[in-house]
Amino acid sequence: MLAQKLHLLRHNVLSFVSSRTGSDLTRRQYDVIVVGGGHAGTEAAAAAARLGAETLLITQKIMTIGALSCNPSLGGVGKGQLVREVDALDGLCGRAGDSAGVHFSILNRSKGPAVWGPRAQLDRERYRQFIQSELLSTPRLTVLEGSVDELLVSQPNPEEPGHHRVTGIRLVDGSHPILSSSVVLTTGTFLSGSLFMGQTTSPGGRMGDAQSCAGLSYTLKETLGLRVGRLRTGTPPRIVKESVDLSLAQLQAPDKQPTPFSFLNTHTRCKPEEQLPCYLTHTTPGVERVVRESVHLNCHIQQDAKGPRYCPSIESRVLRFPGRRHQVWLEPEGLTSDLLYPQGLSMTMPPELQLRLLREIPALHRAEIRTPGYGVQYDFVCPTQLTPSLQVKSTQGLFLAGQINGTTGYEEAAAQGLWAGVNAGRTALSLPPMALSRTQSYIGVLIDDLVGRGVTEPYRMFTSRAEFRTYLRPDNADLRLTPRGFEEVGCVTLRRYKKAVSVRDGLQEALMALQSVALSSTRWREKLGNISLSENKSTTLNRKQCWTFRIEIYTVYRPHCEKQSREMERIRSEESLSLPSDMDYLSLPVSLSQEVREILDRVRPNTLGAATRLPGMTPAGIIHLLNYVLRTGRSEDTHEFKLN
Amino acid sequence: MMFTISTAFEDLAVCDAETIFALSSGHGRCGVAVVRVSGPASSMVLRNMAGLTQALPPPRTALLRRITDPQSKELLDRGLVLWFKGPHSFTGEDSAEFHIHGGPAVITAVLQALGSLEGVRPAEAGEFTRRAFHAGKLGLTEVEGLGDLIHAETEAQRRQALRQMDGELGRLYQDWSYRLKRCLAHVEAFIDFSEDELIEDGVLNQVDSSVRQLETEIERHLKDERRGERLRTGVQVVIAGATNAGKSSLLNTLCQRPAAIVSPIAGTTRDIVETSLDIGGFPVLLSDTAGLRDSSDSVEREGVRRARQRVEQADLTLVVVDSTQLPPDPQLVAAFLQEHLSTVLPSPEAGMTAASDRVLLVLNKSDLVPEEQRERTEGELRERPGLPPACFLSCSTSTGLEDFLTVLQSRVKTLCGDPLSGAPSLTQARHRAHLQQSVQALNQYHQYRDQDLALAAEGVRLALTHLGRITGRVGAEEILDIIFRDFCIGK
Repeated sequence: MLAQKLHLLRHNVLSFVSSRTGSDLTRRQYDVIVVGGGHAGTEAAAAAARLGAETLLITQKIMTIGALSCNPSLGGVGKGQLVREVDALDGLCGRAGDSAGVHFSILNRSKGPAVWGPRAQLDRERYRQFIQSELLSTPRLTVLEGSVDELLVSQPNPEEPGHHRVTGIRLVDGSHPILSSSVVLTTGTFLSGSLFMGQTTSPGGRMGDAQSCAGLSYTLKETLGLRVGRLRTGTPPRIVKESVDLSLAQLQAPDKQPTPFSFLNTHTRCKPEEQLPCYLTHTTPGVERVVRESVHLNCHIQQDAKGPRYCPSIESRVLRFPGRRHQVWLEPEGLTSDLLYPQGLSMTMPPELQLRLLREIPALHRAEIRTPGYGVQYDFVCPTQLTPSLQVKSTQGLFLAGQINGTTGYEEAAAQGLWAGVNAGRTALSLPPMALSRTQSYIGVLIDDLVGRGVTEPYRMFTSRAEFRTYLRPDNADLRLTPRGFEEVGCVTLRRYKKAVSVRDGLQEALMALQSVALSSTRWREKLGNISLSENKSTTLNRKQCWTFRIEIYTVYRPHCEKQSREMERIRSEESLSLPSDMDYLSLPVSLSQEVREILDRVRPNTLGAATRLPGMTPAGIIHLLNYVLRTGRSEDTHEFKLN
Repeated sequence: MMFTISTAFEDLAVCDAETIFALSSGHGRCGVAVVRVSGPASSMVLRNMAGLTQALPPPRTALLRRITDPQSKELLDRGLVLWFKGPHSFTGEDSAEFHIHGGPAVITAVLQALGSLEGVRPAEAGEFTRRAFHAGKLGLTEVEGLGDLIHAETEAQRRQALRQMDGELGRLYQDWSYRLKRCLAHVEAFIDFSEDELIEDGVLNQVDSSVRQLETEIERHLKDERRGERLRTGVQVVIAGATNAGKSSLLNTLCQRPAAIVSPIAGTTRDIVETSLDIGGFPVLLSDTAGLRDSSDSVEREGVRRARQRVEQADLTLVVVDSTQLPPDPQLVAAFLQEHLSTVLPSPEAGMTAASDRVLLVLNKSDLVPEEQRERTEGELRERPGLPPACFLSCSTSTGLEDFLTVLQSRVKTLCGDPLSGAPSLTQARHRAHLQQSVQALNQYHQYRDQDLALAAEGVRLALTHLGRITGRVGAEEILDIIFRDFCIGK
């Protein structure tokens, strides 16, 4: 019965999907089960499999694995850094971007290499194809079409903290459970999701897809007792390209020479001359008028009383910043697509008003809508209930990644997915969990912010969130992460490792060569003319070296990074001292004020570092806590993923 | 183990390679004051300030030297200097001590001279102890005590900061902090959002001029030495209590002149009346406050608000109670007073509890209570845990005044032994150092403005970190708040 309904795919090509049925669902037991086939789920499944875990990816529709459900682009300022880091740990999205990109540009080119934002407009079809073929050719990874009804849990392992232990899942279509050591949930907006357009509301996580996973919501909230919150997001209408008067918009050309995301690629699939342009246009007072006139017909925006600080929709933009011109980017959806994506025009008003609004913009005065925009409201699990390895504190073996943790964006989801997959795999293989330091990567900043502080609005990465921004650069993500990713984490393949090591050695050699030439500043001036120099004995660059570009960036930032190294050291040492998750703060036999006890009991910080960042925590409280943990040997042995 | 103690000092996390100094002896009138210096530059400090051009003195040997300003070479004092070569010192680092004359002018001059040396800065609360811990000079068992010490010190600093932040200087620093935050937010907005959102280039030009303006103002402030004089000195003693308990009478009794208007009408004192006193040789700033009660009169309500605020900032609070209002049964008095204190004192979160040594109970109008009841009540209250010491007193007959003054004096003396209470010169030196570093960091902004905006922003971040050591830390979320408020940022 079950077998007939399941579509199973194992190490196979796409054309096989529909014909193949579940009759050869050979296993009922996996190391890792990943639920969801979006950006978080695909990275999680691939990472767990790379680690050596027998992995099952369950998704509602195999055909939508790797679909870009919102904007057709990847990267940007802050987000580009995440893509580079995911790539450095051998994730998928960087290479997928290089394969699917149709318009590459480095944002912030004039503002310093630390904040450059590699970005690409994508061909949706090519992106999906790349991800699917990559997953289907990944050893140890099985893909299954189905809907998860229930999470199976049992008594916890008494030697580890937690109240439950995950043992597998049960599908909607059958009573037969599939067992596993760990489960990664990446259900996106599908937890109690509801869709909004005008005055109509319908259950679901994405237009055109199946309804949300009610059974899973129930398990998380009722069985596991997890605290959830509610967030909202939205997507703009898709416009028929032919109906747009592009002569009235400003052409935005891509970079002449595309820069690949991946450290493995020297060029992108799309040739420089094949790239497609974007177009820039602006809102008019007419747009504002339509928004104001339609507020009473717009449920989503009416409920926006306590919305996020930023403006998630065009409605919130014009209501909060009236009388201004707002930018609208018209982005290509792919090489063969006949659609344009109007970035900046997320809206939830009734479809006929969406059309009226669009047509208030000169370039869109004859625009036709293919699919209207809509809003989504969904549950997220308050991420302070997770450890830095993205495991649910109360449930052994259960990991969460992506929008379910309150983030927004493909890159944020991919980054968490990769790290959750790594730790789900490690758990299944009886290896200790690992945390990424915020001194070492944007992924570390992202996870530390989530589990340490929680979210009140969809969390998005900005470079200003990273205190060591000048070190966490897009150019050095491979040096920061790849060697350790291979040597300690196990998520990096040998091929990539060898490449990173050769780059590292090459750079090292070139730097040594440069540093061997030391002259006084007077002599440098004689040779180079009157340029600004530090008064210490210094060296210069040999521009003939093949590593010129990377060395240049390195040398510009080096003095600054050295100044920060002590501060980084301090944060790393705080992060490495973990606090047991089952500590009874209310009755701890140390001198702590009731107020501090309550704060600790409520937040349950993972590390001493997280405890020091809690509002209301006192220096004296930290000392007492530290003293207790050290004296009683209660600090858990979390393996920090260190860096030299 | 070494690293871990520093976690408690997140705000104070400054490179340990820096050399620190602090006044180690008590504040107040004392014959000799001891200034301690610790860190790698200690020998340089000693050479520069004690005119030791050649060899350093043998370790742990007192030497009488002329102590001079390293810049102006002006004579500051004659005193003893000692040299401790690490690791044989309290902190385990190279250290030096200056034993100088105890007058405030000499102390201030020496502290300022120290602060003017490069790589030398005033110590943060508990920093000497922390370094001692780092060097393995304190055992783990002593850490518990260290925790309490830091609590006491940060508590004293908090009170002092509250006091200062209330004044003109506080407003000035807060204003700078606010403007610097906006500068940073606008640079960050330009970095993170200008490629996708409508953020004009003009934003950076505005930041340029704001940063310049701030630099000018801070530099001017640093040159203007006189501002520091506006800081009040002395132990802050506040009289608080219900209306008509005799608070103003107590003030008048203590200063032996009618500084406050006394009348039998409840609510006579509406604003704070201040007077400077000398109690046992220590400077005291005594304030009388409005009686605490719910009032419909807006002027009185404001008075009550100020009274509560003043109590929170006080080093010592005298809670005045009308003895005739006490329960006649002495056994019920303790509970009554406990209850009463909880209405007068700020919530325990503020670090002040009835049991704290920062409260004294004054049971006024003792002449109106029968002798026998008074004695039995006194017996009942003696050494009562959870209650501050209580003194019966009659402001109109002066009965019990002597005993009360003895208790008060010993309290003031203890408080003055705390070098952080009412030591403006020390705070001033700390502020100066942070302001100087802040200005230096702003330089980095201009230096990199056109080459590398990430490094330029780093300069503003650093400047804000230094200013934040005076006005309170600024987190990434606060900057994002400003960005999202000032600019329209999409999904």
